[in-house]
Amino acid sequence: MSARSPRGSLSGASSAEVAEDFGDSLRDLQINNRYEISNLTVIAKENTEHAQAISKVLEEHIGMTSPSKKLPALYLLDSIVKNVGTPYTVYLGRNLYNTFMQAYTLVDSNVRKSMEGMLKTWKEPVPGSMDPRPVFPPETVRPIENALIKAKTVAMQSHRPIAPDYRNTPTPPNYANRFAPPPTHTPPQPYQNFQPGFQSLPNAPTPQSTYYQHTPQQPPPNNELDAVKREVSGLIVQRQAQYDANRHDQRLGGELKALLDLQQLLNAGQYIDPASLQQIRDRVSGLANGPSAQLRPTPQPGTPQWQPSPSFPQEASQFVRPAAPYSQPPPGQQPPAALLAPGALDGLQALLANGQKPGTPQIRATAPALQSASHAQLSNVQNQAAAAPQFNGADLIASLTRNGLLPKSQRQPPPHPQPTPVPNSSTLPFQPSADLLRSLSSILPPTSQTGTPTFPAINLPPTTSKPRIPMTAAALKQFRPELVTTLYEAQPNQCSTCGRRFLSTDEGRTKKARHLDWHFRTNQRIADPAISRGAHRDWYPTEIDWVRLKDYDPSTTTAEEASALAAASNSQFSSPTKGKAHKRPEEMYVRAPPGVTRNTCSICFEEMKSAYAEELQEWVFWNARLAQGKIVHATCLAEMAKSGGAAGLGAGQRQRSATPESSLGKRKADGVGLGGGGGSKLRME
Amino acid sequence: MSLPGLSLPGLGLSQPSSSHSALGPGTSSNSQSTRTEELGARTEWRFEVNFHQQYHVRLLSGNAEIFGVELALNQRYSFSGAKGVIFTWHGCQLELSGDAESEYAGLETEYAVEWLNVHGMLESARDLAHGTNDGGPRVLVVGPESVGKSSLVRSLAGWSVKCGRTPAIVNVDPREGLLAPPGSFTAVTVGSQLDVENGYGIAPISGPTVTPIKTPLIYHCPYSSPTERPDVYKALITRTALSVLNRMEEDKVSKESGLMIDTPGLLNDPKSNYDMIAHLVSEFSITLILTLGSERLYNDLNRRFGPKQAASAEGEGIPVLRVSKPGGAVERDAGFLKQLANQQIRQYFFGTSKEPLNPHSHICGFAELSVYRANSATLAAAASSYTKDEDEDDSPYTAPKASADDFEKMTPTNAMLGRLVAIKYCDGDSDDFTIRDSAVMGFLYVSEVDEQKKRVRFLAPHPQRWGDKALVWGGCPEAVTDLVG
Repeated sequence: MSARSPRGSLSGASSAEVAEDFGDSLRDLQINNRYEISNLTVIAKENTEHAQAISKVLEEHIGMTSPSKKLPALYLLDSIVKNVGTPYTVYLGRNLYNTFMQAYTLVDSNVRKSMEGMLKTWKEPVPGSMDPRPVFPPETVRPIENALIKAKTVAMQSHRPIAPDYRNTPTPPNYANRFAPPPTHTPPQPYQNFQPGFQSLPNAPTPQSTYYQHTPQQPPPNNELDAVKREVSGLIVQRQAQYDANRHDQRLGGELKALLDLQQLLNAGQYIDPASLQQIRDRVSGLANGPSAQLRPTPQPGTPQWQPSPSFPQEASQFVRPAAPYSQPPPGQQPPAALLAPGALDGLQALLANGQKPGTPQIRATAPALQSASHAQLSNVQNQAAAAPQFNGADLIASLTRNGLLPKSQRQPPPHPQPTPVPNSSTLPFQPSADLLRSLSSILPPTSQTGTPTFPAINLPPTTSKPRIPMTAAALKQFRPELVTTLYEAQPNQCSTCGRRFLSTDEGRTKKARHLDWHFRTNQRIADPAISRGAHRDWYPTEIDWVRLKDYDPSTTTAEEASALAAASNSQFSSPTKGKAHKRPEEMYVRAPPGVTRNTCSICFEEMKSAYAEELQEWVFWNARLAQGKIVHATCLAEMAKSGGAAGLGAGQRQRSATPESSLGKRKADGVGLGGGGGSKLRME
Repeated sequence: MSLPGLSLPGLGLSQPSSSHSALGPGTSSNSQSTRTEELGARTEWRFEVNFHQQYHVRLLSGNAEIFGVELALNQRYSFSGAKGVIFTWHGCQLELSGDAESEYAGLETEYAVEWLNVHGMLESARDLAHGTNDGGPRVLVVGPESVGKSSLVRSLAGWSVKCGRTPAIVNVDPREGLLAPPGSFTAVTVGSQLDVENGYGIAPISGPTVTPIKTPLIYHCPYSSPTERPDVYKALITRTALSVLNRMEEDKVSKESGLMIDTPGLLNDPKSNYDMIAHLVSEFSITLILTLGSERLYNDLNRRFGPKQAASAEGEGIPVLRVSKPGGAVERDAGFLKQLANQQIRQYFFGTSKEPLNPHSHICGFAELSVYRANSATLAAAASSYTKDEDEDDSPYTAPKASADDFEKMTPTNAMLGRLVAIKYCDGDSDDFTIRDSAVMGFLYVSEVDEQKKRVRFLAPHPQRWGDKALVWGGCPEAVTDLVG
């Protein structure tokens, strides 16, 4: 982590040398260190003639380095293409898809988020630049985006059911192939649109003119949201056309309605947190891709081994049967898009309403239920839904449930008998899908109120499942993985320098940012010989200082909070008026004249000693002021000044000084004990 | 790179790796190249490194922790003079380099499950205490020597900190310092990241530190065993408890997090009917006793403090749990302990390689100093027979009554050479009780006594003089001869 000093141009050297040197520096890039990254960017800038070699080294480094170091390296890439530009965008752009996607498959969910953010900025011009062109041309970025969307869809749909199974295996299986380019979805295309011949509904199709709805676009505060909106409106147009072609298809109608509601919700401008949005997006793109979304792994039949309630699958099968008989065509003929859509949309709305998790099983299960619904029931739902002025997903769920369309509990074997690609394990060290799941489940509320079963895996949101363990010998022996979870998975956000973990909440991120800053500052100071060379041990605190000490973590506390805490530590000493004074006496200091280490306060005649103030880099007398050319205790001076008015303050107001001074222990402590208003129970004998 | 599982202790694949050139010559003949080790879930890597060896560990993948403190990925951690255990709940891959006396994978790790469950119990108790004024769990850890008491306390502390707690850690084992040299009691609240390499990190220094500093309160216990002066020992416990409990009243977060006490193995004296344990239990209002190793101890304590028996006497009774001793807990012989003490003293003055410190030399005339010698059976015996033989006394415990000659004022002599002297937060002419109960400001090392010129040269951790304070020395820690020069 040693910070490299900026180097001059290496122009004289050959490409190979430059690249090698650059590679060496890259290996030192362990954390997201702005200084190092800008340093390396400068090197890249000064060696544009070797851009090809440097790009190659950088690409290789991103490919080779361990997952935890990929992000800094990617940030470097980002920095170079934005700050240097052309030769690098060309060279790095060639392999960008591979570079990005290979890294993406190997990192955890937080890094992924950062990478997605970075990718987004590549579609835009460099901030502050005159050049209106995006960082990378769209044809470079778009394949990555598409791959990400597909990968996520597959990941979410496939891994939820599988995730629990490896929780007990010693070595986590991996899913390297998960993000392999998804199978092209051209073959199933015929299923997707306008296949009235497959519809088993009685009414003949009535072709009608296509109706385009124009969606008002909001100004882009959030690209992702806009993207979803665009996709939704695209879908609406599509479904509208389908619906118009077949007015009596209630499924299409309901689907269209739901989409319009979703659009309304999205346009309402309320905040949707990124994870939910992502899920919506996945869902929508799943819809848009029609049958390709069907290509998801089937959930394992049979409950996962640790699933506690055996009644679960039975219920599910009970449910499935009554749903089946309703004049259903053989599964092969079922138009899969229609089969999927209504349930999926419900899931979307549920997500938006934040009331429920759209477990895939549930979504699948809803579909036949809707199919089996009577016309009257459906229109009832629709009317209710339409009647609600501000539509809300939970309402839809509720009304569906009321009308018996959505069974109270459901789970169903996969509706589609198609074999599914089962992800293989190979080289991944971590469990990316589990991470993704966890991050999702920690964002979403733990369980729904509608009684819809959520999949057990989601019932492990680490933050909420804190077991109560009684203090008995019997409770000692049993292994509780949830305890390990609280120490590891529940805090996925890890500092790469010291291993400390943080929650994936906003607060956790803030803390981590501060913590990293602290590391940075500390390392800078350690590297600075002027500061670190003369270090010496401090004296231990006195009893009273220690008792009053407010322990806080300097690495996650801002300076203001720290001083507030320090003030709190002193508040028992000070009267309220004193606490409000903008600078308390004990914070005052006088620089020690050269050679003077001791001084006697001419007010109280106690000895004062100089101390080295690190932040001032000076020897000072703390709690001191100059009075008539002499150094005295600031507290003594303050007392002198108000001795007329505030006689009641007396000895208890005597400030302890930060400097250890003679006889501090006993006498001062007694004084405080008397004057501290009973705040101190320290009994000194 | 060796195959996983093939690396046995002493089976050196002696390909000199280039990264080793920095290690310096002649460390050990047992030099091994860098190797990787694959550990399954819930297994551990045990290593013993003596004081002139350097052992490096790097976590390549997975998760691993050392006494409750998680290792960061791809950071190199170095150990010297340590018997350590790297545990993994999920499985991990380690890269090891440097030398060790022994290193092997431990598969019998049921103890870790128990320890983690203890942590779960403490967390439950803390949650229950939240919003009440009862305070969190107050845990006493007892057991014979070398059964992993300190490791247990450290693990519990590490996990607690990870869960956002600020537990108080109390060490009443004077032979092994905590954030202080030996011969001291420590009370410290831990609210920030612990250190992988040296446990609790470092007490305040004037410069930057790798891990956030911990500010301990130190008392001076110049006896190597509680049995030497039970009365003084008890008084110090009382004093420590007073400060800690006061602190917890001031600091609600800390109170809710509770406290954990690490004790010396010699504390468990059935002959005195566990008098000292009873004293600790009552002074700290202990709510949970953990025993390690000894079954007899567990039964005795359970009979005495456990829920059923005590129900009649003082209401509730205290749960007593017997926790498994870790498979890696090894006997630390006297030589190791002595070296450990030396290392701690050295680090007090000179810091570590990561946080080097500059000690300061002070020369003081005899007249400026108020030196006291803490009397103990050992010292008295040594003084009377004029032999400087510092045997650990196994003499039957005779209750020396509290007497006025606990601390004997003396003029500095050559006997102080190499000793550690505690600066007390009390005047030089204080009475015995004040001297006994005062906290420690710092420690001085006596590097030279000139009886002719009547002056003493001290090595001090701080550039500042300490003024007229009582200076106390005693039988513990033993003299260190090679600290300076």
